[in-house]
Amino acid sequence: MSETILAVENVSKRFAGRIALDSVSIDIARGAITGMIGPNGSGKSTLFNIIAGTLRPDEGRVLVNGRNITTATAAEICGLGIARTFQISRLFAEMTVLENLVAVARGRDDRAAIALALELLDFLEIRDIADRWGAELSYGQRKLVEIARALMLQPKIMLLDEPFAGINPRLQNRIVEHLRALCAKGITVFFIDHEMRIVLKECDLVYVLAEGRLIARGDTQTVRNDEKVLQAYF
Amino acid sequence: MKGLSPLFVAAIAGFVAIALPFVGSDYAISFSIQLLIFLVLAYSWNWIGGYAGYSHFGQVGFFGIGAYVGSLLNFHYGIPWYLAAIAAAVAGAVVALPLGGAMLRLKGPFFAIGMFGLARVLEAFALGFDSITGGGTGIYLKPVSDLRPLYYVVAAVAFLMLLLTWKLDNSRLGLKLLAIREDESAAESLGIPTTRLKIGTFVASAIAPAAMGSIYAVYLGFIDPPTAFAPNMELTTIAMVLLGGMGTVLGPLVGSLLLSVVNEVLWANYPQVYLACVGVIVLLAVLFMPRGIVNLGMKSGWLKIGRPLFRSLAARAEQAQS
Amino acid sequence: MPVAELLIGGILLGGVYALMACGLNLIFGVMRVINFAHGDILAIAALSTVSIAVGLKLPFWVAVLVVPIGSAALGALIHLFILRRIEGAPLIMSLLATYALSTILVNVAILIWGGGYSGLPGVLSGSLRIFGINVSISRLVSFACAIGVSLAVWWLLEYTRFGRAVRSVSAAPELASISGIAVERVRLATFALGTAMAGFAGVLVAPAFAIDPQLGSRFIIKAFAVIIVGGMGSYPGAILAALLLGVIEVVGSYFAGAVIGSAFLFLLMLAVLLVRPRGLLGAGMRV
Repeated sequence: MSETILAVENVSKRFAGRIALDSVSIDIARGAITGMIGPNGSGKSTLFNIIAGTLRPDEGRVLVNGRNITTATAAEICGLGIARTFQISRLFAEMTVLENLVAVARGRDDRAAIALALELLDFLEIRDIADRWGAELSYGQRKLVEIARALMLQPKIMLLDEPFAGINPRLQNRIVEHLRALCAKGITVFFIDHEMRIVLKECDLVYVLAEGRLIARGDTQTVRNDEKVLQAYF
Repeated sequence: MKGLSPLFVAAIAGFVAIALPFVGSDYAISFSIQLLIFLVLAYSWNWIGGYAGYSHFGQVGFFGIGAYVGSLLNFHYGIPWYLAAIAAAVAGAVVALPLGGAMLRLKGPFFAIGMFGLARVLEAFALGFDSITGGGTGIYLKPVSDLRPLYYVVAAVAFLMLLLTWKLDNSRLGLKLLAIREDESAAESLGIPTTRLKIGTFVASAIAPAAMGSIYAVYLGFIDPPTAFAPNMELTTIAMVLLGGMGTVLGPLVGSLLLSVVNEVLWANYPQVYLACVGVIVLLAVLFMPRGIVNLGMKSGWLKIGRPLFRSLAARAEQAQS
Repeated sequence: MPVAELLIGGILLGGVYALMACGLNLIFGVMRVINFAHGDILAIAALSTVSIAVGLKLPFWVAVLVVPIGSAALGALIHLFILRRIEGAPLIMSLLATYALSTILVNVAILIWGGGYSGLPGVLSGSLRIFGINVSISRLVSFACAIGVSLAVWWLLEYTRFGRAVRSVSAAPELASISGIAVERVRLATFALGTAMAGFAGVLVAPAFAIDPQLGSRFIIKAFAVIIVGGMGSYPGAILAALLLGVIEVVGSYFAGAVIGSAFLFLLMLAVLLVRPRGLLGAGMRV
């Protein structure tokens, strides 16, 4: 049982009286691929935003390596080695792909930043679009550039917000391979999605959220056959 | 290597600028001083409005502060204009630092209007506290016998602004500012220190206008609130950057040259027509060419696209790898 | 300190601010456009009123009818040729466009009417004595009409079908369009109504103040201050804030001179922006 790198403890959140999250607790193991699924409106994105620091929970805490980051800002959380992608890609439109990556690079060395950017573009097999304007990319290309940009921060934990939504199966498989490669390097991957097929196939651990509550947790076999999950989805 | 290089264009401009005082008439020098002052204002506004994406209507506030600080130092203590200009620049920065911290928390149009309001407050104070500022009568300065030193200083500052903008454009700092402009909260979630960078850019964009304000007062030999805080000056500056291309190196240069031509033809005889034309130009630019001439040029290919430094560094890295 | 006089004076001034601010708010609510040229439409309306009454020697009430209609027409043209094309662009673009428009209008006005001051000394002159205070008739009438029209437009927004359509488009344009409302026409009508209100304010201002083409620039920043303090998008907020700011300006002028007095308004606006951007009654900006 590998150690927990990210823990969410009894987090609750309300929006104008409506309960978005109800005392949810999850823990993410280091170096594993963990997934969270749930129907639309189940609170996945809210939980994600709380972990990433763009929202604050009403109750509960978020811990990284035992350190409480519940009240940390998004920028501080970046500094702790957590990077995220966005569900609707938020690339910098009036810049090339290469510039999108270099813009977020850390440290003072320009050459190292560019070298890292090129390396990541190679890793994701999108080197050929390095000079393309951000605004001109296709949907699938955007997703890949988002991932590359998050990786520029050399994170220990990658949070991916619906990385598989709306792209063709071949590209989905490619992304899965890249994620596996990341895990092999020791990076922890946590993503939310509602593509059940991929989540149930590729994750080491799966959480299922419905109506703000955690209804299942386990490896893919367990979750696949769980009564409550089947009920929530069908 | 298709298209004109910005360096080439800048070199030509530099050559003309240096040669002018030797071959030009007094009128040409006087006109050029005005043009160069606008150039400096445009480049300054370009940093905060064009690169960081925080457009606002209050830059003339710093111009006015500089004008009064410089004029008062000159008038009361006889401090020579070039030292007064430095003091004015410092004054601009000192005011901009806390001001930026407060105002930059506001979202786009609120920031713009807030700064506009601030410039009006400053104008009202200059008018109202007349025991200090001379109020509506203004301050009369000893006229300068030779405009040439003024010209050289302003030209040097203009050249410096162009150089700094070029460096900014080709640096990661420039990319970070553009990231703030494109999507500030995404930039923040990816670790870019947006607050620090915004305030820094704001302060930087206040320094040169303050210095230019004090030099302008010396140039005119006179300053009063409507002159120091003229909204028309603000509009003209913004028009230059908008027309030329926000967030580019050559944009402010192109814009100010073009508008100065219009200025030259119209201002002396028909100031209202000139200003109405500037308004029309801004309107047309917003409607049809919001990214400006330089960006249009980049898209149609007669100017090189993007920021060359990264492409060349990338190319060199590729060669090293293969 | 002549409290009652200052109070009355401030409230009367606030009436005109209210009319302007309500028009601005209406435009902002429906079109998400901050109309920098609003004050200049007021100025042109005031100058036109003088031309009609003095130049053409027609009775004042002709101006009262004609000028707001003319302002509405001007507004319609502005919407059709300019604002309609920048829908969806970032707010700063509409701000730049209306700022440029403002400059165009001011300078065209100077070309037509000259840069000097004019007024309507003969119309609604004199004063009444109310509760022992001298109240200028023109200011009283302009206050009554301004508040009257503001309230009338508010009634329009709350209780008529057109008003409901306007509020739907304000709150949720996509939903409004799906439910069959002709969004484009509502926008056009609203902008024309807003500019008509500015035009009417101009007519009211003409007998009460000295007017020149730059009048608009002086009024617009005060109108901004009003809607920011009152809360952008809040109609009752604009009316209350207008009266409040009218009083503040008059009191400030009494103590520190006219110039500093108006500076107080801007300072209050800045303070509100920084401390409570929602304003007194605003529900928060949907930017």
